[in-house]
Amino acid sequence: MVGLNSIATGLRRTALIPAVFLLLTIILAGWHNNRRPRAIALLPSLTNQPEYCLSCHQDLPEISRSHPFQAFGCVLCHGGERLSLEADLAHRSMRGGRNPSDLTVAQDSCGGSNCHTGEAAQERNHVQRVLTSVQATYAGAIANLRYSFGAQPDLTARMGIFAIRDEHIQTPTGLPGLEAFAPENETNPGIQAFAQNCLNCHLSAEPLPGEETSRLTGCAACHSLTAGDDLDQPLHSLTLKIPYTQCNTCHNRGNYDLRNMHFVPRSDKPQDRLHDYYQPIAQFVRCEWTLDCIDCHTRYEIMGDGDLHSNQREIRYIQCRTCHGTLDELPLTRTITDPEDLALRMSFLNPVIDLGGGDTVLVSSRGEPLWNTRRLADGSYELFGKASGQRFTFRAVKGSACQQNTAEQESRYCHECHAVER
Amino acid sequence: MSATQSRDSSEKQASIQVARGQGTTRRGFLSLMTKGMVYLSGLLGLRGLISFLVYDSGPTTQTRINLGASSNYPPGTRTLVAEANAILISQEGGVLALSLICPHLGCLVGETPDGFTCPCHGSRFDRSGGLIRGPARQSMVRLEIEVDRDGNLILSMA
Repeated sequence: MVGLNSIATGLRRTALIPAVFLLLTIILAGWHNNRRPRAIALLPSLTNQPEYCLSCHQDLPEISRSHPFQAFGCVLCHGGERLSLEADLAHRSMRGGRNPSDLTVAQDSCGGSNCHTGEAAQERNHVQRVLTSVQATYAGAIANLRYSFGAQPDLTARMGIFAIRDEHIQTPTGLPGLEAFAPENETNPGIQAFAQNCLNCHLSAEPLPGEETSRLTGCAACHSLTAGDDLDQPLHSLTLKIPYTQCNTCHNRGNYDLRNMHFVPRSDKPQDRLHDYYQPIAQFVRCEWTLDCIDCHTRYEIMGDGDLHSNQREIRYIQCRTCHGTLDELPLTRTITDPEDLALRMSFLNPVIDLGGGDTVLVSSRGEPLWNTRRLADGSYELFGKASGQRFTFRAVKGSACQQNTAEQESRYCHECHAVER
Repeated sequence: MSATQSRDSSEKQASIQVARGQGTTRRGFLSLMTKGMVYLSGLLGLRGLISFLVYDSGPTTQTRINLGASSNYPPGTRTLVAEANAILISQEGGVLALSLICPHLGCLVGETPDGFTCPCHGSRFDRSGGLIRGPARQSMVRLEIEVDRDGNLILSMA
């Protein structure tokens, strides 16, 4: 009997230990489960596939009016595991980390039919055009440096930040392709120093430290306003209202000293827009330091025209006469009759101007509508700031008291009389 | 029985007697604890099982929606069906159901005096959903609608 009692006691003792483990295991499982966020499902109308990103990211603002999360969801642009509530797993396959518009992934994130690539119309293939732009390839700077140090015989670009080919050249200066710039293959120390110190203002480069140069990469370098901000803070915003300050994160920071290939940040601290304008030694007319850059410079100039070019000059064609004409000619215009006119679409997306059929807008020498302008009944013109919304009116040169030599119509000649002393 | 075993047995008996003096035995206490933990584990496990079985996996798409008696939609009326993101346009010839999801990129179009406009990218449609202006490339999607044997309008989302 004693033996049986001992066995029974032993069993009770051995049952206690598994019971403790069982309880602890269940409590731990429950605790772990409760640590997960409360699942919040979203069923985007475009994909019709549930995703649970809002379980943690409800506090993020809508990224733009054109990309509502109810229609797009999150995964379509950002990638990631849409069903996961575990942060690590959910984020593991995200495109471009926090920035899906980085040029390494923009084609997948922002592109696609009906989005920003894959269209028959070149004007809608934004990602493809941007990849060919000099802001992305940096081909002009690379060609200039290599030519200056004797690594190539002329200024025609041969290399870019990444290798790229263009099968459909549409302009006289278009190039068939660029090789990837490989500093390790360069023998000149000047070019190597350039590669080490100066490749920080193209669209794939991380910016220099400092609030003045604070920007993201890819599409977000321009369309997410970061100037003067701390990049560590969450940023979930895309805009077409791009002020000059965003352009200045690359274009107005200082200069490169070509003797030692080092960046020299500007030392002045401008207090007003006139003195904040690009390059302290130069002079500018009122438009240039009153308007924002995008008020005049077009999408083809800024985001590329689809061709690979050797330098900025080949793609920069907006002149004073684009808006003001010459002594002999009025500026080019177009009266809107087509409901699909790009001007109508743009003025819908950034409604600083209420354009409609029958309105006459200025057009560039390449036929692009300057959709933020309109000809008025008295023959003058109005322009609305794309970022500021401010209204400006102006007249054509023709019929004015301007005494300009008709053979000298480039902007630099206009500056001779109209530049402002600083 | 050795002297050591005899001493252990005596201490054990003494311990049991002490425990009995306090109202329960050590054996009983351990047994109670074991049972308690097993029952508590069972309850917690059951709670987890119930949570699993009644888990709301999120929104699902309804494929058929009963809109009630067709007589509620007389000719000339336009009725928003919010749960289906659709609009019913009742005409003399019958009822037309249009999806308000823009055929371009899935935003919800809004009704205007002269038709529908997509707030995201500006596509415009006439009052019957016909395409006026892109970037959408097709008219608004027409949904299937039928009257069942009880006279109710059934909207089919598939």
